[in-house]
Amino acid sequence: MSLLREAEKCLVNQHKHTLNAFITPLPRTGKWREQVADADQRRERGTSKSALDGRLIAVKDNICTRNLPTTCASGILDKFTSPFNATVVDQLEAAGAVIAGKTNLDEFGMGSHSAYSKFGAVKNVRQDREGQDLSAGGSSGGSAVAVAAEQCYAALGTDTGGSVRLPAAYTGTVGFKPSYGLLSRWGVVAYANSLDTVGILGRTTSSVRDVFSILNQHDPRDPTNITSTSRSRILSRLQDPALASRLTRTALRIGVPLDYNISELTPSIRQAWHMSLAHLQSQGHTIHPISLPATKHALSAYYVLAPAEASSNLAKYDGVRYGTRAEGPDSNGQPESYLYADTRGQGFGAEVQRRILLGTFSLSADAMDNYFIQAQRVRRLVQHDFNSVFAAAHPFAFKCDMETTPSRTADVDVIVCPTAPSSPPRLSDILNGRSPLDAYVNDVFTVPASLAGLPAISVPVTVSASEKDPRPDELAGIQIIGQYGDDELVMNVGEILENQRLGSQV
Amino acid sequence: MLRSWSKGAYSALSRTSRPVSLHPRGVPSGATRRSVQIQSAASAAADRVPLRKQLKQEAKAIREQKRLRKESEEASRQAWELTVGIEIHAQLDTEAKLFSRAPTSTSHVPNSNVALFDLAFPGSQPEFQVATLLPALRAALALNCQVQTVSRFDRKHYFYQDQPAGYQITQYYEPFARHGFVDLYDYDGIAPEDGDHIRVDIKQVQLEQDTAKSQEYPPASQLLDFNRVSHPLIEIITMPQIHTPATAAACVRKLQAILLSCGAVTTGMELGGLRADVNVSIRRRGEAPGQCQYDGVSGLGQRTEIKNLSSFKAVEDAIVAEKNRQIAVLESGGVIEGETRGWTIGSTETRRLRGKEGAVDYRYMPDPDIPSLILGEDLVSSLKTSLPTAPDSLVAQLTGPGFGLSIDDAKPLIELDDGARLEYYLDVVETLRSQTPDRDPEAHVALARMAANWVLHELGGLLTKTDHSWSAQVVPAQALADLVQSLNEKRITGSVAKQVLAAIFEGDSRPVSRLLEEENLLLRPMSREEYVALAEEVLAQRPEMVEQIRRKNQLGKIGWFLGQMMRLGEKGRVEASKAQEVLHELILGKQ
Repeated sequence: MSLLREAEKCLVNQHKHTLNAFITPLPRTGKWREQVADADQRRERGTSKSALDGRLIAVKDNICTRNLPTTCASGILDKFTSPFNATVVDQLEAAGAVIAGKTNLDEFGMGSHSAYSKFGAVKNVRQDREGQDLSAGGSSGGSAVAVAAEQCYAALGTDTGGSVRLPAAYTGTVGFKPSYGLLSRWGVVAYANSLDTVGILGRTTSSVRDVFSILNQHDPRDPTNITSTSRSRILSRLQDPALASRLTRTALRIGVPLDYNISELTPSIRQAWHMSLAHLQSQGHTIHPISLPATKHALSAYYVLAPAEASSNLAKYDGVRYGTRAEGPDSNGQPESYLYADTRGQGFGAEVQRRILLGTFSLSADAMDNYFIQAQRVRRLVQHDFNSVFAAAHPFAFKCDMETTPSRTADVDVIVCPTAPSSPPRLSDILNGRSPLDAYVNDVFTVPASLAGLPAISVPVTVSASEKDPRPDELAGIQIIGQYGDDELVMNVGEILENQRLGSQV
Repeated sequence: MLRSWSKGAYSALSRTSRPVSLHPRGVPSGATRRSVQIQSAASAAADRVPLRKQLKQEAKAIREQKRLRKESEEASRQAWELTVGIEIHAQLDTEAKLFSRAPTSTSHVPNSNVALFDLAFPGSQPEFQVATLLPALRAALALNCQVQTVSRFDRKHYFYQDQPAGYQITQYYEPFARHGFVDLYDYDGIAPEDGDHIRVDIKQVQLEQDTAKSQEYPPASQLLDFNRVSHPLIEIITMPQIHTPATAAACVRKLQAILLSCGAVTTGMELGGLRADVNVSIRRRGEAPGQCQYDGVSGLGQRTEIKNLSSFKAVEDAIVAEKNRQIAVLESGGVIEGETRGWTIGSTETRRLRGKEGAVDYRYMPDPDIPSLILGEDLVSSLKTSLPTAPDSLVAQLTGPGFGLSIDDAKPLIELDDGARLEYYLDVVETLRSQTPDRDPEAHVALARMAANWVLHELGGLLTKTDHSWSAQVVPAQALADLVQSLNEKRITGSVAKQVLAAIFEGDSRPVSRLLEEENLLLRPMSREEYVALAEEVLAQRPEMVEQIRRKNQLGKIGWFLGQMMRLGEKGRVEASKAQEVLHELILGKQ
């Protein structure tokens, strides 16, 4: 199929569905047609710019684009267009890709179901047995659904605590969160800078890899981006024979965190996990039980740290220099009333306000030590947990850190576990008054890798003996977590599992 | 514009006592004027006070008021101990902002020097400008600080229109320099009760961002200029170790002089390049120590903070006013609230800006986007060696045996014109000394003093009179040296030297020797006989005055005859000292 036909098919799908995946879809007409046609010609001549030349890539609407609005699904930016492109957008366009529109999300990335959006909730492609709409997962739900519904070739999301992996698991797509600092955050609207990572969604691991290879470059404009010298240090370590052989040999050591076998895990997910491990074993890999004891505190630490950073990052939205401003004077005309209270009160949605308040509290002088500082300690423990089970050392671990690392408890190459503890819930349950804490539990398996900055991928597996399209509860996301810098290895293992039908083997 | 500050500093220096005025804008005279009006309205011609008498009375009233104020200040000082700590914010001399490459110039069109990050655009990130470290480190070293190998940046949160991100990036938890000190001497203008020297410890020096400039147009408009936003600042925090308002002002003045002299900043308080906050507390002497502790100093009273003081006088006046307010509150049984207060120049009271200290919680948080600052020992030590000589060492040098200058001459030489005046002076002295290499040390000192007088007062006087800013080219150092040399060797008289200086100042570019010759200004010494003849001639004009001098010993009147001799004598030939000698001899007999 020509690239242009493929793109037109995506366009038709964008306008056919009512999934609300896009805030700003691709216009029916525009320069993109010529661009894709040019790419077709290049492909015929064998001079394609890259594997993405002429492909439509959707971009989450918290990543800045000069030519399309960037709303972050927030009332406070609902008419905002950024004066500049994010580095990742520039990189995609330089590789010949076409931006397929801006996808829907939870406001500023805060949410697990893409339901907290100024532009309405995103709907999963699948419905449950009673025909009820299901959660697409969040916060990159729009990007995941756009990929699942073939409205684009691949999509960019952002992953702060699981926001790419969770929607991938709910929609049956592949969602990859690279090691922190590999992809540029310049132009990515900050939610929690120390956790925010640009992630990639695709229908296959191989398409995800194509996008990753284009974005995995040093960017001097992002001060948290890994420098070129550090990148070559990581690479030369990976070329060490002991580590290099992992990419080729068949027998990998697979870690299974026993702490993840929690009571909230639904039977279908537990079965999918079990069968995935069996499948890996059948391929010649070995399975090893491991312990990640700090995991049980990771979720609470995450929900202290991320809102704390968010409360700080979102302080800039005051309607003064850009964004939407409430009617009337800034302090409601009262000298003693709070500055910007109206603008921020009207502009931010309920979940964003909740997290700003949480973060404001945990950073306050009286709470700082018990919450923010304590959570940073937990974060360090989570990192130690991972370092003590991986065979490969963390490339940036300080010498003193390594000495204090609790003695190695295992020697695994990757960790395999579920992405989410359950199948997607009904959208109506989320929108109608479930406790927000219930939504936070969905992040329990994805948050540890975020706190440690590790690469992690979610791939879809199906537990079904039938050849029919899987029902939502037959579909599960399985997560593969690797040591820092082991992004390739994580994708390789993901490829072994992706789209496996595991039912017949039991 | 720098010069105007320098002159201000100079005049402040020559002030020996510093009366504290609570009514700097002449309130007393205004009050009198009002009473006169009432008088004229009531009983017009009744008892009119002659103007002269009225002026005298007013002057007397002001003196009396000052005396009373001084007494009450002294009485309150004996009863209450004042404690002051200072925070200085100084704009560093850098090309670019702290976290972007936008230029720092604030004189450009408003909002022309701003990068995306300076405006807190979504998705923009900070780019620390390494060059900022040079002036910052120079300041820290000049203030005798220990530079920290690792320091970090934190966010200080508050909402205000001039703060686009909703937080200021500063170094709260781990500043880049700690444990410094500044020495204050009597010549810096510290209070007499502080003796001839005190040392004020500096707790820390931190890097931070400046805010935007905002202009209020009541009731509902604010204009914002973001050119200044994120200009690199250092904040210098002193320990609460100052106990008099005068010394607090001297401390700020001294800090400014040090920052200017080490090249950390380009402008002082008068251009807004430096702002001071002071925290003020009092406690009753001889009673149990107070309950509060600040920066490790315990036993203090509850403090208040006065923000944004923009002149040395404001620092001193605001502290006096706040101290008196606190005394009044405590003496009437009240309690001091920990609050932020403001000061308007010319007012008599500080005013409350914000409530209790605890009410503003800045929620300091380490900035997750900015890596730690790691400073190499090599950088610090190379900056240390290239640091210019500290003002205090220069003072010691100039007042030492090599130059023998008075403090009153040494200070302005160092402080005027950003050090250019001192450089010029040293050029003049060196030229003089190279021309007279064999002189003994005493003669060298005499020349150095003479040169200081001419550089500061004669040349300085011409500059002030003509409102010229400093330039070393107007009167080249060589010319001034030649002139001083001629005078020192008595080849010209003092008045001729002044004339010649004025001529050169106005553009006469002939070498001094040629100028003196061509204008026939060289002194041809008069013989003793000529002096006697001239003296007798003028004495004969007023024999009765001669009598008065002899009988009533009214020696002052000799001056009149001296003046006559200078006037009648041949131009440039009469030396005042010799003429005086002869007059004495003739009037009072040989001594």
